[in-house]
Amino acid sequence: MTDQSTAPDQGTNGTAGEGFLSIRGLTKRYAGFTAVDNFDLEVPKGELVAFLGPSGCGKTTSLRMIAGLVPATAGRIVVGGQDLTTVETHRRDMGLVFQSYALFPHMSIARNVAFGLEMRKVPKDEIARRVREAIALVHLTGKEEHKPAQLSGGQQQRVALARALVIRPSILLLDEPLSNLDAKLRDEMRNEIRDIQKSLGITAIFVTHDQGEALTMCDKVVVMNEGRLEQVGTPVDLYERPKTAFVASFVGRTNRLKAVAKDGAAEFAGQRVPAPAGLSGPVQVMIRPHRIALSPSTGSEGVTGTIARAIFSGDILQYDVDVGGQIVSVELATRGGETVLAPGTQVSLSWRPQDIFVYGAAA
Amino acid sequence: MNLSTKLTIAALLMSGVSTQVLAQQQTVTVMAYAGLFQERYTKAVVEPFMKANPGIKVEYFPMPNSAQMLGTLRAQKAAPQADVVIMDVSVSKAATDEKLFNKIDEKVSKNVADLYPNARIPDVDGVAVTFDNLVMLYNGDTVKDAPKSWMDLAKPEYKGKVAIPGMPDIQGLSLVLIMDKARGGTDYLQNVDKGITALGEIAPNVQTWEPKPEVYPVIISGQAVIGAGWNARAQVNADTSGGKLKTVLPQEGSVFQINTINYVANGPGKDAGAKFIDYALSPEAQKAFTESMFYAPTNAKAQISEAAIARTAVKSMDKVIPVDWIALAKVRDPIMEQWRRKVIPLSR
Amino acid sequence: MSAATALAPALPPRRSRLGLIVALLAPIALINAIGFLAPVLNLARMSFYEVEPTGAMREVYTLATWAKMVTDSFYAELIVNSVSVSLGITLLTLVCSYPIALYLHRSTGTWKTILLVLVISPLLTSAVVRTYGWIAILSDSGLVNNSLGALGLPPQRMMFNLTGVTIGLTEILMPYMILALLAGFGRLDPRIEEAASTLGAPPFTIFRRIILPLTLPGIALGCLLCFVLAVSSFITPKLLGGGRVFLLATEIYDQAIVTLNWPLAATLSILVLVIFGGALVLYTRALRAIL
Repeated sequence: MTDQSTAPDQGTNGTAGEGFLSIRGLTKRYAGFTAVDNFDLEVPKGELVAFLGPSGCGKTTSLRMIAGLVPATAGRIVVGGQDLTTVETHRRDMGLVFQSYALFPHMSIARNVAFGLEMRKVPKDEIARRVREAIALVHLTGKEEHKPAQLSGGQQQRVALARALVIRPSILLLDEPLSNLDAKLRDEMRNEIRDIQKSLGITAIFVTHDQGEALTMCDKVVVMNEGRLEQVGTPVDLYERPKTAFVASFVGRTNRLKAVAKDGAAEFAGQRVPAPAGLSGPVQVMIRPHRIALSPSTGSEGVTGTIARAIFSGDILQYDVDVGGQIVSVELATRGGETVLAPGTQVSLSWRPQDIFVYGAAA
Repeated sequence: MNLSTKLTIAALLMSGVSTQVLAQQQTVTVMAYAGLFQERYTKAVVEPFMKANPGIKVEYFPMPNSAQMLGTLRAQKAAPQADVVIMDVSVSKAATDEKLFNKIDEKVSKNVADLYPNARIPDVDGVAVTFDNLVMLYNGDTVKDAPKSWMDLAKPEYKGKVAIPGMPDIQGLSLVLIMDKARGGTDYLQNVDKGITALGEIAPNVQTWEPKPEVYPVIISGQAVIGAGWNARAQVNADTSGGKLKTVLPQEGSVFQINTINYVANGPGKDAGAKFIDYALSPEAQKAFTESMFYAPTNAKAQISEAAIARTAVKSMDKVIPVDWIALAKVRDPIMEQWRRKVIPLSR
Repeated sequence: MSAATALAPALPPRRSRLGLIVALLAPIALINAIGFLAPVLNLARMSFYEVEPTGAMREVYTLATWAKMVTDSFYAELIVNSVSVSLGITLLTLVCSYPIALYLHRSTGTWKTILLVLVISPLLTSAVVRTYGWIAILSDSGLVNNSLGALGLPPQRMMFNLTGVTIGLTEILMPYMILALLAGFGRLDPRIEEAASTLGAPPFTIFRRIILPLTLPGIALGCLLCFVLAVSSFITPKLLGGGRVFLLATEIYDQAIVTLNWPLAATLSILVLVIFGGALVLYTRALRAIL
């Protein structure tokens, strides 16, 4: 498989246009509820795209529709110009890695990895070579004749990865592949998956509920909520320019504050912040804790509040500040030598205008 | 008189009465066939006996077949629970050899002197209490012309309609003996080749060699239309089926099946057992049971009604082929072997 | 937490725990000794007793019955016949039960409960009653032959022969087979089948390469159970065999109840036990090979 080194197509990185994987109007309705609603996505060749959202948001259902394991109610799935919407799973040529590994328990590691090649009637000696390479790629050389049950969770997931990659699938689908692993293994596997995907230049979709995984690993992140696509963008886009309150709160940590909007501005604790046109009435104001500056002096610019709680956790010094009855969390990177302000201390908070987001209260 | 005084008197009376009864009461346990036999024998023999002997209570202990009676006797050899057993003569011989019985002779019952000679079997401790014989059975609704010969079972119109309880059941064995004699066989203890050949001719017509639960309902229901069975049960079934089941004693004749009555050694009822045996062999008991279930009597002095005697083999004794069941037991295995090799394969 | 602290002092020291194990095992060991071991030993002893042609049994030891077993080819035929008929019935039962068990394994909720009750419900009726049910269906004037007649087809002899025994026993054994299969389907996982599908395996290949191997423990268990039950069943062969089907169990019945040759019945019973032992060894071997 190492000889497959198609360079990732960097041309249409991002928004509209023909992707390698093109999903249009994909919908899945069950009796009484819609799991996935009118999902549109273009994925350029070689990109790693995350489907991110809380459980039940439709990300796994979308992935399973792409794999053909769940029939779509409506919409089209096109890969490399070929419409696969009604093609059976076993003819779709996709590699799928499951959260539960789903290795064949009765087969050795080598037989597991060889399975897809046998299905493709690849000659025996070629199977042997490619299996050897795939097992080497996931650092499991020497474990060929082991049964899955004899391996650790992380090793099993590597076998699953090798099994999916060895067939050189058009798309690699990863369904929460790290969720069953412990924290240390998860970090290791995260890098490994990213490196392998990059080196093979394979187009991949990575389903996760962990925003950290999505932001650190993926070229592009699709945030989903309640069956709908909230926002598609690079990790930076999502973090710095969240389009909806859901994205703002799901991606990264944020303060979620109540305010009232009027005439294109929201008023919060006596300070007016610009709000999107058309908003009026109750709104949500969001600001990330570490984008807030805190000074002990009172009366200067910014809003005034009282420290309700101070939490020192080494890297970070967090203050929960009571501002007009609402708690605003402020995070300061510690530099050493600072004095921790006692609860009850009056402080003033300030921020840059671009760090504040205002959304309708309904969101 | 207040309540407690009444109760005290009642209690005293009852205890006095019951100890009196207990002192006199003896119990005889009779082990014999279940089902129809139990029903008829209880009415015809057991109940009249208890009426005549109010001090003796008879417990009827029903068993499905003679072999299980022997099994029970063997298991209880150290402490028998039965006093009297009615079973097939060949099983009775086995029990005799295992010394499970007391010899029944004139000292046990003076009625023994009045039994037919063939009711006293050499080397068997019991004596015959009933005679039965093999008869041909047919469904009167389907079979219009009464069959006359056992070989009518081989007629093409009865293809797949014949029910015969085959060997090792003695009904199948009886049929082999009857046909062997009819075809010129002289000594069934030497060989029964002719009988086996005859059964081989009937075999292709046979629907089942194992009619269940019994051959009679199978023919009454029309599942099979013709076959072989025991006379006594057939007569009762003929009555209860409203004439659907008909019987005939074919020209080749028949053989007797003998049930013996046996006196269990060291039974719990002691002499009461002998009393019951004496009654069972008496002319009146023999008459009552024959008139109830059409087993031929074993007591020559029994005065049976014409109607009942006509339905037994008593009037056709010339047709009854004598069989020494005890001697036959020695050659049963080789006959069974021939049955398996030469009869069954022809009926597939 | 509170439960743990409450339990901790209750755990007895090692030695009295051994006593506890013995005490807990004693009842079942005793019941087995009385209810199984003693009768089997008694049977073994009885197989060496001398028997007279009349059926009279003497407590004198002899090898005559065992010698007869070895020399009379009928018994070899009987064993071969019994084992092969039972194997055939077991196989047929497996083929009929497997799809049902698989479907049952995959159904969920109330539907699964309903189906499971339907599968188990025949066990609430005695085999005798169910066999008479088959007589009503298979007899010359039964359901099947009447239907054949209505279609203008010739009647078929479907009972009082091996066909009837096979049909009847297969149906009677199916609930046991289905339950055993279900018990052995633990390794089946829809994700594994999906994985095979994404790797390019068409449905039948998934069945052959994934489902079948993963369900082998259930198949082995079900086959062992049904084989043992088939070899030892005598009511159905008696009722549906019409005296034409000779099996070990029916022969044991005949020898014990009709011919009164208890030593021969005992010898045949020991033989059946030996066959069961062989089946158990095969099962253990098969299981070790599968897992």
